[in-house]
Amino acid sequence: MKLTRRDFATGIAAGIAAPYLIKSANAQGATIKIGMCAPVTGPAAESGGYAIKGAKLALEAVNKAGGILGKQGELIVEDDQTTNPGIVLAFSKLASQPDIVGFLGSIRSTQVHAMAPDVIKLGKPVMIGGTDPNLTHMGNQWLFRCRPNDSYSGRVIAEYGVSTLAKKKWAVLHSTDAFGTAGGKALTEALTKLGAPPVLDQGYANQSQDFTPVVLAIKQSGADILGSYFTFENDLGIFARQLRQLGVNIPWVGSPSIVNITALKLAGPALYNTYGVADYAEDSSEGSKAFGKIYRDAVKVAPDNQSSWTFDAINVLSAAINKAGSTDSGKIREAILATKKFAGAEGEYNFDQNGDGLHGYNIVKNEKGNITFDKHIEFND
Amino acid sequence: MDLALQLLFTGIGIGAVYALVALGFVLIFRATNVVNFAQGEFSMVAAYLMVVAVEAGLPYWAAFIVALLGMALLGVVFNLGVYYPLRHRTYLPVIIATIGASILLANSVLAIYGPQPQVLEGWFETPGIQVGPVYLDSQYLLIIGVTICLVVFNFWFFEKTLLGKKLQATSQDKEMASLLGISVSTMIMITFIYSAVLGGLAGILVAPVLFVSIQMGSTIALKAFAATIIGGFGDVAGAIIGGLALGVIETFGAAYISVPYKDGFAFLVLIAFLIFRPQGIFGERVAEKA
Amino acid sequence: MSAPSDNMPIPAQAIHSKPLLVRHLPYFIGAAILVVVAANMNFDGYVHNILLQATTFAIAVFGLSVVLGLCGQINLAQAAFFGLGAYAVGIGTTDLQVSFWLCLVGGCVISLLAGAVLGASTLRLGGHYLAMVTISFQQIVTLVMINAIWLTHGPDGVSNIKRPDLFQSSQSYLAFCVAMLAIVGYLVWHLPDTKLGRAMRAVRDNELAAGVNGIDVFRTKINAFAICALLGGLAGGLFAGGFAYVSPDQFSFAESIVFLTMSLLGGVASPIGSAIGTGLLILIPEWLRFLKSVPGLYLAIYGLFVILIIRFMPDGIWGFVSDAFARWRAKIKTPPAANALQLKPATIGGDIVLEVTGLSKHFGGLKAVDGVDIAVKRGGVHALIGPNGSGKTTTLNVLSGLYVATAGKIVLDGTDITHMPPHQRTASGLGRTFQNIRLFRSMTALENVEIGAERPGNTMVGKGDDALTERAMEALTFVGLGSRANELISSFSYGHQRLIEIARALASNPTLLLLDEPAAGLNSTEKLELHELLKRIAAQGLTILIIDHDMTLVSEAAQHITVLNFGRRIADGESMAVLRHPDVVSAYLGSE
Repeated sequence: MKLTRRDFATGIAAGIAAPYLIKSANAQGATIKIGMCAPVTGPAAESGGYAIKGAKLALEAVNKAGGILGKQGELIVEDDQTTNPGIVLAFSKLASQPDIVGFLGSIRSTQVHAMAPDVIKLGKPVMIGGTDPNLTHMGNQWLFRCRPNDSYSGRVIAEYGVSTLAKKKWAVLHSTDAFGTAGGKALTEALTKLGAPPVLDQGYANQSQDFTPVVLAIKQSGADILGSYFTFENDLGIFARQLRQLGVNIPWVGSPSIVNITALKLAGPALYNTYGVADYAEDSSEGSKAFGKIYRDAVKVAPDNQSSWTFDAINVLSAAINKAGSTDSGKIREAILATKKFAGAEGEYNFDQNGDGLHGYNIVKNEKGNITFDKHIEFND
Repeated sequence: MDLALQLLFTGIGIGAVYALVALGFVLIFRATNVVNFAQGEFSMVAAYLMVVAVEAGLPYWAAFIVALLGMALLGVVFNLGVYYPLRHRTYLPVIIATIGASILLANSVLAIYGPQPQVLEGWFETPGIQVGPVYLDSQYLLIIGVTICLVVFNFWFFEKTLLGKKLQATSQDKEMASLLGISVSTMIMITFIYSAVLGGLAGILVAPVLFVSIQMGSTIALKAFAATIIGGFGDVAGAIIGGLALGVIETFGAAYISVPYKDGFAFLVLIAFLIFRPQGIFGERVAEKA
Repeated sequence: MSAPSDNMPIPAQAIHSKPLLVRHLPYFIGAAILVVVAANMNFDGYVHNILLQATTFAIAVFGLSVVLGLCGQINLAQAAFFGLGAYAVGIGTTDLQVSFWLCLVGGCVISLLAGAVLGASTLRLGGHYLAMVTISFQQIVTLVMINAIWLTHGPDGVSNIKRPDLFQSSQSYLAFCVAMLAIVGYLVWHLPDTKLGRAMRAVRDNELAAGVNGIDVFRTKINAFAICALLGGLAGGLFAGGFAYVSPDQFSFAESIVFLTMSLLGGVASPIGSAIGTGLLILIPEWLRFLKSVPGLYLAIYGLFVILIIRFMPDGIWGFVSDAFARWRAKIKTPPAANALQLKPATIGGDIVLEVTGLSKHFGGLKAVDGVDIAVKRGGVHALIGPNGSGKTTTLNVLSGLYVATAGKIVLDGTDITHMPPHQRTASGLGRTFQNIRLFRSMTALENVEIGAERPGNTMVGKGDDALTERAMEALTFVGLGSRANELISSFSYGHQRLIEIARALASNPTLLLLDEPAAGLNSTEKLELHELLKRIAAQGLTILIIDHDMTLVSEAAQHITVLNFGRRIADGESMAVLRHPDVVSAYLGSE
C-alpha cells in the first residue's frame, strides 16, 4: 500500500498546487478587473449569453470614455452553471483573484442567496439582479441591486390591475421556485393591502408539461384578472396557449418573463393584449432608448432586462469607482450608495441605504406581438 | 363533470405521449434486457431534427421523413457505440453507458443548437375543436390517433409477420433463436432502429404542444419509464395502458390534490406498484431463478 | 462411526499476525499528516471550497463503492441521501437550534432508515426495478425539498448553517472533514475482508451460490444499501456545515449521476478509486472551465467519457492501475501449510439424516416432482438417479430451498426445513454444489472457501479471521488445492473449480452434502480422483446425497439408490438390487 499513499499524496499536492499556478499567472496586468458570474451552461444559459453581452457593451463604452481610474476595465466571466454550487465555486474562484475590485452576481435570487455568505467574507461590492426583496434586507452590506425588487413588482401589478384596470377578483399564479414564491407572496400582500385579496393563489412546478388543471382552477375561481410569476418561458408558452384554448380571456398582468423575446416567440398570439411589468422597457426613458440602440446595433436582437441590468451594473460600478477615486471597497460602497439620479437603461437609479437602486416598474402591453410602453409606476418608500 | 371530461382528455393526450416513449423502452428491454436511459433523448433529438428540416425549407411531410430517417441512423449508431460493445457484460455497465449517452446527446444538441427553446408548428392549421364542454387540442387528437394505430401495427407486426416473430424469438431466448438460424445481432439492430424511430415519432408529435427544448426528452422519459413498470415490464400492451393511466392519474391528481406535487404522483404510484404488484398490471410474476 | 466426540481440540493457532491496527499504522500516520496539513495550510477561499467539496463528496462516493462495487446493486439516489443529511444539519442548526453533532447523527440516522426502508421494499426485485425506484425516491425528495416550504424553506434553501464550536474556522473544519474521510475510508477499505463484506461480494458474484452458502442475500443487500445511504447522509451533513448554505438543486438527480460517475471513473471496487474519481471530477471541470464558453460542450464530452470509461476501463482508473501493478508484481503469496480437515457432522442421533415425505413441486400444470419419499441414512453415500427430465435437479433445488415445495415435508437431522429460505437451510447443516459451477468469480479460491466456512452455526471454526482462514485452508488442502489457495478462480481448470466448490461446502462442516452431478464435464482421471475424494469424505462420517448420470461412479460410490422417473419414485433400496430392478432398466433403456 506504500505506493498507493504516495500516489494519493502526489495527486493531492498537484491538485492543491495547480490553482496557485493559474492564479499567479493571472496576477499581473494594468487593467481594472471586474468579475462576473453568469450562466454559460445550464437551463439559463440562453439569458446568460445576453447578460454577458450587456456587460461587455457597457464596459466598451466606459473604456472609450476614458476607462476606470484611467485604466482599461476588464471583464472576467466565470460560468455559474445555473446552479447554486456552481455559483459558489465560480464566485470563490473570482474572489481568490485579489485584483478584482467589484463583481456582477446573478439575476437568480437563489444563487445570490448561495453566494451571499462568501460575499460577506470577501467584503467587496457585488452588483446583483436577483429580485427577492430579502437579499438587500438581511444585513449583507455588499449586495447592490440594479433591478427593482419583487416587492415593487408585486405592488405595481396590484396597483395597475386594481386602479387602472379596475379589477378586484384576482387569481395569482406563480412557480414554486424562489423567484415565483417570493413574487406570488409580494403580489398577494399588495392586493390584500389594496383591499382585493386574491380568490385563487396557485403554485406550479417548473417544467410542467400540462396546465389544464391550473387553467380549470382559474376558470372555476371566477377570477376576473390574472397576475402571474413564471420562471421559464416554455412553461409560460404552454400555459398561455391552454388558457386561451380553454376560453379564459380575462386581463392578465405578468412578471417580466411575460414580455421577454423567447416567451413572445413561443406563445405568439396567446399573449396578445396581456400586460407585463418590465424593469426594462425601451420607450420608458432616454437611457432606455440609448441602450436599446447600442444593443440592437451590436447584437441584432431586441434588448431585454437580462442584458439591461448588467449594462447598468457595469456603468454604476465604474462610475462609483471613478467617483471614489480608489479601488478601496469601503469607498466604492459609499460611492454606490451615494448614486442618485443616475440615468440607466433600467430607469433612474437612486440608491437607498439597503442597496436597492430602483424603486419602480414599467407597465408594458403586448400589442399583437409588439411590446409598447404603457406607464411607469414609481414608489418612494 | 365538464371539468372531469376536459381533464380526462388532456390526461389521455399526455398519457399517449408517455405511452409512445414507453413502447420504445419496452422493445429495447425485451430484445436486450437493458433499460435505455437515453430513450427520452431520442424524442428530443428528433424534434430538433424536425425543426432544422422545416427551417431548411422542406415541406412538413418531407421534414418528417427526414427526421425519422435521421432517427433510424441514430438507432444504428447508438447500438454500435453504446450497446453492442457491452452486450456480454451485466446490466449495470450498460445502464450507466446509456446514462452517459443521454448526457452526450442532450448536451451535443445544446452545443450545436444553443439553449433557446424552439417552436414547431403542428400538423393541422386549426389548433383544436370544441365538442360540447370539452376543447380537443388537434395535436393531442393526432397523438392519440397515432398511438391507437401503433398498437394495432405492433400487434400485427409481432404476431403476424415473420420478421416480428423472429424479433419475438430473439427477445425470448437468444441462444435458441441463433440455433434456429436467426441472426441475433441483426434483430437487436432492428430493435434499436425501431425504438429510436418510435421515440423520435413521440418527440415530433409532442413538440408542437410542449415546444422543442433540451429538457423535453428527459422529463417525458422518466414518466414513460414509470409507465413501463406500472404496465408490467416487457409488455407492449402494458406500456400503453401504463402510459395512459399515468397521464390521467397525474392530471387528476394535479386538479384535485396538488399542482406543485404533480410530478410526485407518478413516482408514488410507481413505488406503490413496486411494493404491492411488482409484476405490473399485465406482467407475469417476476421469474423465480434456478 | 459418526458419533462426534465432544471437546475436540480446535486446531492450534498456526498464523500469528500483528494486530490489525499495528499493521495499518502507516495509513493512520499518512492520514494524520493530511489532517495536520489541512489544518495548517492557509488556503484561499477557492481552493478551500474545492477541497471541502472533494472531501465531503468522496465520503458519499465511498457509500456507492459499498453498494455498487462490493454488493453489485445500483443506487441512483445518492444525492437524495446526501441531501437528507445536509438538510438535517441545515434545518437542525438554524431553525431548531440543535447542536451540530446531534444534527449530524440525526441526519445519518434518517438517511440510514430511508435507505433501509427503500431497500427493504425493492431489493428483492433488484436490477432495473431498483434503478427506477431509486430515481423515483430521488424525484420525490427533490419535490419535497422544493415544496415543503414550512420545513425546508423551499427553493430559497437554508442559509447561515452553523458549524460545531470546536471547528469554527475554515481550516479546522476542513481538517475535521479530512479526518472523517480518513476514518470512513479506512472502514470501507477493510469492509471487504469482514464477514459482511465477504457476504456482499458473494452476493455480487453469485446470488444463488451465496444463498446456499448460508448468506442471507436479501439482508446483505439491505445492509449494503443502508450503509451507502448512511455515508451519503454523513457526507451531506459535513457538506452543509462546510458551505453554510443548502438548496434543493444541489441534491438533484443530476447530482446523483455525478456521484455515480465519480465512483465509476475512479474504480467502483475500492475507496481509493472513489477518492480518485471524486477528486478528478471536481478538479477537471474546474480546470476545463474554458470549454464552457460553448454551452453544452463540456457536458457532452463528459457524457462521452462515461461511455468510454465503461467500455475500456470497466474497473475504473484505480482498477486499471492496480491490475497493471498486480501483473507487474505477478507474485502470489504461497499460503501456509494446513492441518488435516476434520469433518464432524452434527447429529441428534437416529439412523436417518434426511427424511423427505410426499415431496411435490408443480410448475403450473407440470408436475416436475410428484409425491417423492426419500430417506437418507446417516454416514453413507446415497444416490438419486433417473433419466433426463425425471425431476432430479428439481428435487435438489427444492431440498436446498431454491424452489418452494408445492407439498410435502423435508426434515434434516430432526429439524423441519420445508419452509426455510436457502441460507437458513445451510445454517441448519445443508451443504451443496451445483451442476453448472457457481463460484464467486472475483475472489480467490481461499476466499470462496472462507465464505463456506463462515456458515452460521459452524462449530468447527474458532473465533476470528485467522481461524476462518485456517479452516478454509484445511478444506482446500483436503481436495488437493491447498498450494494454490491465493489464486483467482479464473486460473483454475474446470475440474479444479468443481473441487473448490466441494471444498467450499466441506469447510462449512455440513450435516448432509448434496452433490449435483459432480462428475459432469470431468475427464476419466478427474472422475477417479472425485471417486477417491468421495470415499475420503464418507470415511469421516459425512452423509452424501449425490445426483449423477455416471452409472459407474454411482454404482461404485453409493450404497443406496433412489430412482426417479417422470417426477415419481420408481425404485429405492440397496445399490445393486435397485440397478437390477426391471422398472429402472426399462426407464433407462426406454429413454436413453
